[in-house]
Amino acid sequence: MTSSVTLRINGEERTLPSRPDESLRSVLRAAGYYSVRFGSDTGETGAAGVLVDGRLVSADVMLASQAEGHEIETVEGLAGPGEMHPIQQAFIDTGAMQSGYSAPAMILAAKELLERKPNPTQDEVRDALSGVLDRESGYLRPVHAVLRAAATMLGEDPDDVSVVHLDQLVDTDTDVHHDREGLSDIAPRVVPSADVPPTRVVGHAEAKTDAIKLVKGNPAFTDDTDLDGALIAKVLYSPHAHARIVAIDDGEALALPGVHAVLHHGNVRRVRYASGGQSYPNPLPYDQVSFDDKVRYVGDRVAAVAAETEEIALEALDLIDVTYEVLPAVFDENEAIAEGAPVIHDEPDMEGAHDASRNIVHHLEAATGDIEAGLAAADRVFEQTFRVHQVQQTPIEPHVAIAEWDSDERLVITTSTQVPFHVRRMVAPLLGLPVRRIRIIKPRIGGGFGAKQEMLIEDIVGHLTIATDRRVRLELTREEEFVSSRTRHPQTITYRTGVDADGVLTGQEMRVIGNTGPYGTHGLTVQMVSGLRGLSSYNAPVKAFDCDVVYTNIPVPGAYRGYGAPQALFALECHMEDIAAELGMDAIEFRRKNWTKVGDPIDIAPQLGEGDIDEGIMPVITSSGLEECVLQGMRAIGWDRRNDPNWTEPTDRPHIRRGLGFAMAMHGTAIPGLDMGGASLKINDDGSFNLLVGATDLGTGSDTVLAQIAAEVVGVGVEDIIVYSSDTDMTPFDTGAYASSTTYISGMAVKRAAEGVREQIIDRAATLLGVPSDGIDLHSGAAWAEDGRSVTLGEIALHTLHQSAQHQIMSTASYVSPESPPPYAAQFAEVEVDIETGQVTVQRLVMAVDCGVPINPVTASGQVEGGMVQALGYAHCEEMAYDADGRMVNASFGPYKIYRSDEMPELEVILVQTMEESGPFGAKAIAEIPKDGVAPALRNAIADATGVRIDAIPLTPERVWRAMQAS
Amino acid sequence: MAPAVLTAAGIETRRRRSSQVITSYHRPHDLDEAVRLITERDAVPLGGGTSLTTDRGGTPTEVVDLQALGLAGFDAHDGVVRVGSMTTLQAIADADEMPEVVRDAARREEPRSLRNAATIGGAVAGAHPESELVAALVAFGARATVVGGEGTSEHAVVELLADPALLSGRIVTAVSFATGGRAAADRTGRTPMDRPIVSVVAHRSPDGTRVAASGVAPHVVLVAPDAVADLDPPPDFRGSAEYRRHLASVLVGRVLARIGGQR
Repeated sequence: MTSSVTLRINGEERTLPSRPDESLRSVLRAAGYYSVRFGSDTGETGAAGVLVDGRLVSADVMLASQAEGHEIETVEGLAGPGEMHPIQQAFIDTGAMQSGYSAPAMILAAKELLERKPNPTQDEVRDALSGVLDRESGYLRPVHAVLRAAATMLGEDPDDVSVVHLDQLVDTDTDVHHDREGLSDIAPRVVPSADVPPTRVVGHAEAKTDAIKLVKGNPAFTDDTDLDGALIAKVLYSPHAHARIVAIDDGEALALPGVHAVLHHGNVRRVRYASGGQSYPNPLPYDQVSFDDKVRYVGDRVAAVAAETEEIALEALDLIDVTYEVLPAVFDENEAIAEGAPVIHDEPDMEGAHDASRNIVHHLEAATGDIEAGLAAADRVFEQTFRVHQVQQTPIEPHVAIAEWDSDERLVITTSTQVPFHVRRMVAPLLGLPVRRIRIIKPRIGGGFGAKQEMLIEDIVGHLTIATDRRVRLELTREEEFVSSRTRHPQTITYRTGVDADGVLTGQEMRVIGNTGPYGTHGLTVQMVSGLRGLSSYNAPVKAFDCDVVYTNIPVPGAYRGYGAPQALFALECHMEDIAAELGMDAIEFRRKNWTKVGDPIDIAPQLGEGDIDEGIMPVITSSGLEECVLQGMRAIGWDRRNDPNWTEPTDRPHIRRGLGFAMAMHGTAIPGLDMGGASLKINDDGSFNLLVGATDLGTGSDTVLAQIAAEVVGVGVEDIIVYSSDTDMTPFDTGAYASSTTYISGMAVKRAAEGVREQIIDRAATLLGVPSDGIDLHSGAAWAEDGRSVTLGEIALHTLHQSAQHQIMSTASYVSPESPPPYAAQFAEVEVDIETGQVTVQRLVMAVDCGVPINPVTASGQVEGGMVQALGYAHCEEMAYDADGRMVNASFGPYKIYRSDEMPELEVILVQTMEESGPFGAKAIAEIPKDGVAPALRNAIADATGVRIDAIPLTPERVWRAMQAS
Repeated sequence: MAPAVLTAAGIETRRRRSSQVITSYHRPHDLDEAVRLITERDAVPLGGGTSLTTDRGGTPTEVVDLQALGLAGFDAHDGVVRVGSMTTLQAIADADEMPEVVRDAARREEPRSLRNAATIGGAVAGAHPESELVAALVAFGARATVVGGEGTSEHAVVELLADPALLSGRIVTAVSFATGGRAAADRTGRTPMDRPIVSVVAHRSPDGTRVAASGVAPHVVLVAPDAVADLDPPPDFRGSAEYRRHLASVLVGRVLARIGGQR
């Protein structure tokens, strides 16, 4: 059926093979235009955006044949090697890219706009970018990148993007006034702390080290490779929420020409495991096998096929004859533990569940004292139950992995993962190979957010390569990403809180029923974090946590940025808001009375920690900028408008009510006593350095931050640090990108390795300069004696590598932390509520964050902007919806609604510095805390606007309307 | 994997391209040839391609691309605009000769990358039950020119929505309507650019007032302002039947107030 199309691509006419049903994206990628990326087959992610006759279209939903006779442009045509289009440069200068997976499409969207409209408004830019979904940036920086490019191309001076220092508000008389006049929207706002020593590279808005490959659409991601000769894998998923596989007949599928393997429970070794990407030993239970004879949710694996083409693989799936005995299913966590519920894990070789016969995977209890006594001491006790729902991470790059034998007959798996080292260790027993025969390569990742903290599909491609001796590639479709990867745990959360007459807590109890779906994976640890985070923000003499983690038949919850904290803090911050209202106290004042401060113990932590920390040591809060965050946030949001009836009830729009909401957030920084990162640094002939890290930059900018830390220590610029991450054959071990750990843990490993290198450089400089080493300083790419003489690092490198007492200046270090210093944040939201329809329009989100010292204020701000927008989706519009049989009914973007560039609220981020002595250059974490506060702040803003208090999310129009009807 | 499930309200869950087996692609240069291909070979007309308007559940299909038939563009005279069926939604959003309510509805229909390809003919033939653009066309009393079968015929767009068989083996070549009068639209969605749960568009001219709504029936319908309570909307996770009825009632009241009409 193969025919061909003739296309004009970037001014060049090419005749390319194409089937009649083949999309333009597919044809372009096969021809090596890897900037045209896969986000879905249906066009709505825009990752496959190309210009056709100068207009941006999604190449997923254009047949290659439709494009014949038209001019096609891709980012590859924009600028040659060493060159840069002004739009590309603007994307770098503004920090617009995180993973950069969809950057090529955004750049083309900008090109279309600027050719039509050289001086666009912000609304026109937002409209131009509306077809490219971004899960990472919150769109603020991409929009301003386009405005900056426009200014540059018109020969005007673009907006300043350098760091703006804001005055401290704590202990000053500055009024809390809403005035953002003259502030550039994207200049990172930093409230400096006098405790922070000056630095040359750290703390500055350095451009991303990986910017060139991203902005130019160069092949960098897992699938950006010639697949000629590779087999394509496809997975047969269960259509039933709960069923036993009575029989599988693969005969017809195997007989289909082009099919090389069909794997299922009948021909794959049964090895039990837990798929969560976590340290050894993986937390129990071990309730999964590669292919089972029972399926436990719609989307569970049944079989996998490897075939010459995707079409043949899909046809083979249709030919696999599976006989199911359909079993009753249960989806709600409360129903799953009721008498008579279907038993989801009844297999005899199941390991490590608390009580599988009652679907209880784990039962957790923790208490700092007698909770009933604590509540008895209260003047009033408040009890409130909340429900949080299921959402998906939706990285625009779905899971994709390619396996092959190398020339030494070792299995190489290139995969989009956050945890390459965990994957190597975890996949080995499933494949029956020793760890030494497996190599995991992590190229660039197009977003992960926890979905890729999982050994999810690597075993499938591994099994298939072993079965076929061929290169095998598996990429999930968007629908598969929704239903068969990982999601956020739904929970039912009940708080009981005792308060004395002064508004001081006497006891706080949190009960959680966590829904881990059909498999444990992260079920234990996510729910532990819910307890830890849900009981750490506020001091109470007694705290207690009680939790059941339960099996159900929904698609599998796992790790999702925030990891149990967004659930807990939604409940906690709504609960505290409502208590304040009941007590007639100011909502912030009530919290302030009770929130944890420097020197306070994190008293529940020793019982809810995973790591190997000394139980006798009580973790204590060592730094907090919370008070400053709250004041900065109040000022930025215009908190005093709450009391202005002209504002809250606009007279020209009688059905609109406006409101402001607040939530405080406290998170952790890495898992103490567990998370470990390694780094290695070596000098090159010209005084540049290779930095090898196991840490995995999934778009967060961690490669850049780690390069800044190394550069600061050895006295060079970021451009002198060449970062490689990560490859289990090449780089030191790292637990991976999760738990807000990379800057703090891997950063400290880099700092220590760099300090080792620094010492060796100084030694040689002392010899060359003829001075004692203790007076030598490194900066500006040279070693400087106190008398002002210097020798460059290039000279030192040549001397040590070639000339005398030859030796490789290099150092390797690793780091594990005994502490987890909490970042703090104040989250504010402004809303308009339509009181006749329940529609909520979010106008503005402000977050002021204390992340210690931000190593890179631009990437840190970008983390918060994007994190807030993900959190907004959780709060407002995202939900996985199911029919009565447990089949997801909205497994595509649109029905599953994530925010677009042209409907965004205003975003503002303020970074409040504190000096965290335990972190590299004072840093704490920032990646996850932006997920914690938006849902409660939005809910509290709706309460402020309408008086209606809603104890569940998402805050969709009908839910809000019904709540208003009921009140 | 089970094919994508359509919710009761027909929420857009576009089928995977790979499940739509296209066995050949045709790009005829005259309309007669296009009609012949569609009737003789049971082929499917292809507009922008952002969603194939006929879902044959994986049955092998030939497609007839309408791009070379000269069907794109506007022709306005005597207060009536005739929009070629291959005119893109972006072109409609940009067109000065179109009423503001229609331009805005076109802009809301899809993000820009899809508007650049999707066509008005596709919007009419696709008959999405939650399309505000289709509701706007119905409110303006738009008529579609349809070619095929016994030649050329004209149908009210609202009639085609109710009876998709009228389009079987035929091609929509144009959509026409009078651009005068006053119009207003309103909607409720999860987010500002979300496909609305319910949208209502009202249009008033000397000939009378028309009110069209999306999200209240299996397809866009004309609603009688005093009979909103009789609607029986298919529910889904974004809106129960009761809620959709309530929205219709509120939104009908608002748009009528804005065009100076009455319930």
